[in-house]
Amino acid sequence: MASIDLDKMLTKIKSTQWALSDIDWDAPGAELITEEQWPKLKDFMADLMWIEHVGARAFAAMAKKAPTDTLRQIYTYFHAEEQRHANAEMALMKRWGMLEGDEIPEPNINLRLVIEWLDRYSDDMPVYVLGTVVPMLEIALDGALCTFLLETVKDPVCHQAFEKINDDESRHLGVGFSVMEMQGRGKTFIGATKMLAPLLDPRLMLGIASYVPLLNKMRDNIITMGLPEERLYAAMAKFEKIGGYHVPVDGMVKLTGLIPRRALPAVPSWVRELTYQPTA
Amino acid sequence: MTTSSASPKKAPGKAATRKRSTTGKRATVKKTPAVKPAAVLIVGAGFAGLGMAIRLKQAGIKDIVILERASAVGGTWRDNQYPGAACDIPSNLYSYSFAPNPNWSRSFSGSEEILGYIHHLVAEFELEPYIRFEKNVEDLSFDEKKGIWTATTDKGEQFAGRAAVMAQGPLSNCSFPAITGIEDFTGHKIHSARWDHEYDFTGKKVAVIGTGASGIQIIPELVKQAGHVKVFQRTPGWVMPRPDFATPAWNKKLFEKLPASQQAMRNLLYWSHESMALAVIWKSPLTRIAERVARLHLRRQVKDRWLRRQLTPDFTIGCKRVLVSNDYYPALQKDNAKLITWPIARLSEKGVRTVEGIEHQVDCIVFATGFDVSHSGTPFPVKGRDGRVLGEEWQGGAQAYKSINVSGYPNLFMTFGPNSGPGHNSALVYMESQLDYAVKGIEKILKDDLKMLDVKEDVQRRHNKAIQKRLARTNWNSGCKSWYLTEDGFNATMYPGFATQYAAQMAEFEERDYETV
Repeated sequence: MASIDLDKMLTKIKSTQWALSDIDWDAPGAELITEEQWPKLKDFMADLMWIEHVGARAFAAMAKKAPTDTLRQIYTYFHAEEQRHANAEMALMKRWGMLEGDEIPEPNINLRLVIEWLDRYSDDMPVYVLGTVVPMLEIALDGALCTFLLETVKDPVCHQAFEKINDDESRHLGVGFSVMEMQGRGKTFIGATKMLAPLLDPRLMLGIASYVPLLNKMRDNIITMGLPEERLYAAMAKFEKIGGYHVPVDGMVKLTGLIPRRALPAVPSWVRELTYQPTA
Repeated sequence: MTTSSASPKKAPGKAATRKRSTTGKRATVKKTPAVKPAAVLIVGAGFAGLGMAIRLKQAGIKDIVILERASAVGGTWRDNQYPGAACDIPSNLYSYSFAPNPNWSRSFSGSEEILGYIHHLVAEFELEPYIRFEKNVEDLSFDEKKGIWTATTDKGEQFAGRAAVMAQGPLSNCSFPAITGIEDFTGHKIHSARWDHEYDFTGKKVAVIGTGASGIQIIPELVKQAGHVKVFQRTPGWVMPRPDFATPAWNKKLFEKLPASQQAMRNLLYWSHESMALAVIWKSPLTRIAERVARLHLRRQVKDRWLRRQLTPDFTIGCKRVLVSNDYYPALQKDNAKLITWPIARLSEKGVRTVEGIEHQVDCIVFATGFDVSHSGTPFPVKGRDGRVLGEEWQGGAQAYKSINVSGYPNLFMTFGPNSGPGHNSALVYMESQLDYAVKGIEKILKDDLKMLDVKEDVQRRHNKAIQKRLARTNWNSGCKSWYLTEDGFNATMYPGFATQYAAQMAEFEERDYETV
């Protein structure tokens, strides 16, 4: 993959911004959501929105770590753009009557863990870990979730919103892979990431996210033992191939389900920045 | 003393036939007026210009003309009268040592009181007769045959002087920033340096763009008045606690009765600020300590972890201007205030659109976006020997000798010229050294009846090579973006050293550094 000119990319990002008010959220088409679709779509959208939001927080961490000023600015924009996606998805949920009152959907316990983890540790993560995990999340969103959504949902406003979201995401990916190249990642590694990502389901993505501290520590352990980190990622890929990965993730999900809510600290204030309202 | 009644008669000399100028148009119309020049022509009646006049008068030079574009003195302090405006260097140090004021009401005085002090300087040293108000200089040209500088105003009036002092100030021009859509916004717009005192903020929704030295002073005041304040921040700065106290009456009396006690206080402040150079100019163990103090200040005042993160700088302290405030962080956490760190996408008819897709609708936008600082040009064309134009020579970044003279521009002295800015001490301490150096140069011109006192080019080059080498090791050049640097990262603004070093540099006026004619 040819490296992109990041300075030009930054200029392009700055000059092609959109806002929630560019979309008419009351336009006809909401009725195209079928009764059967509605409950599933509600769960899906809530998860999707939270994944975007969590992705936003990861970009915020990357901005702090960026090796150049241009990249720092790009990540600062991406942080805001992911937030915009979450806001737009919330506006869709509002349109489809999926929000109870004006409340932000309650994050499930796994998300709470991820949020808590991101809040506490993401700023201390090495940039190459975030720089690998985030593009994987992006591909998964772009390639799998959004495609699925657009194939299933006929509402034109949904299509309009996701056209804009996808444009942003493709830029995020372009930068993501360029940065991986900058960090000396080989073609095989990038290829494997691209291939692996669409296979992920949202739960696994959350799993990966909540796994990262563990993974992080394990990676350090393994590197200390003398194994190059590429081998670790290869091992992960192999793990996926033999189809074993659902077990630990499922186990994890079950386990975390037992954690009482009040045992968790208060939701960090960045979560409250979400809004479906185009103006404030 | 010359006046605007200059003879239109064409004067001979190169000034009349200049080929190069910044605009190209003025070059052929420039003429040297056949009027008796003043000894010294000063552009600007702010702290610098007035201080210059005082020091010249004290040296016995009284043939002075001060050109001021506004109708009142005070410069930066006349213009910056926004709510909360104050100096961030203690007043006992942010004042002239040759004009002490025992009556400062607080350790850090507000801008109104500082402006009052400037008015006091004018009265005390009887400067009013020297000042020509509403003379907006648009051109400054040197006639090398006569050895005379001529200033031409926007109305075409001309004033001449054997020596000229550019005291127009580095932070005297401001404009609204070039944010996309700024012309679409239909609400009220205010620039911090041109405050609109008529506008009533009561109950209004206000956006403040910018969180630098002006922004953090304005915000706490606006939060007290306005209905809601949204603060748009691009880069958080390091904020140190501000040891600001009202001066007790006994203290004022003491300073008045025993001026030596005020001098002792000034010395104490001076040396404590000098020690800060070790923290803010160069990276040292003290830099870490200063950052820790600022972090503790933040931690003590802001309990929310995310807000703290948003307010934590990611550059070395000192790289940008260090801020001081006790009420900025608390103001941001008031119910009617909100910090927004999303990048601004554009301004719209009703407010500020940020990249997270939301339009923040407001009644008024306050731009605390700083000043138009020129690193590579001059505020008006300055034409020296052989038709050279200073703005053109400075395109790659401004350079001077000891910040005050430029080779090829004889008899011209600059206050706050290139590489004279302090990051840790009072600007007026630096200013005093510049004024006294200029007095020496001007005395030399008048005493020896020189047509030209021109710093040698190689002397200037050597000086700048050394300055830039020293700058490379400072925090200012450590990678952050700031108004100290040009787009290319060239530092034409700051002096890389202690105020004491700068004073030592300015204490010596070496004749051998100059070509004299």
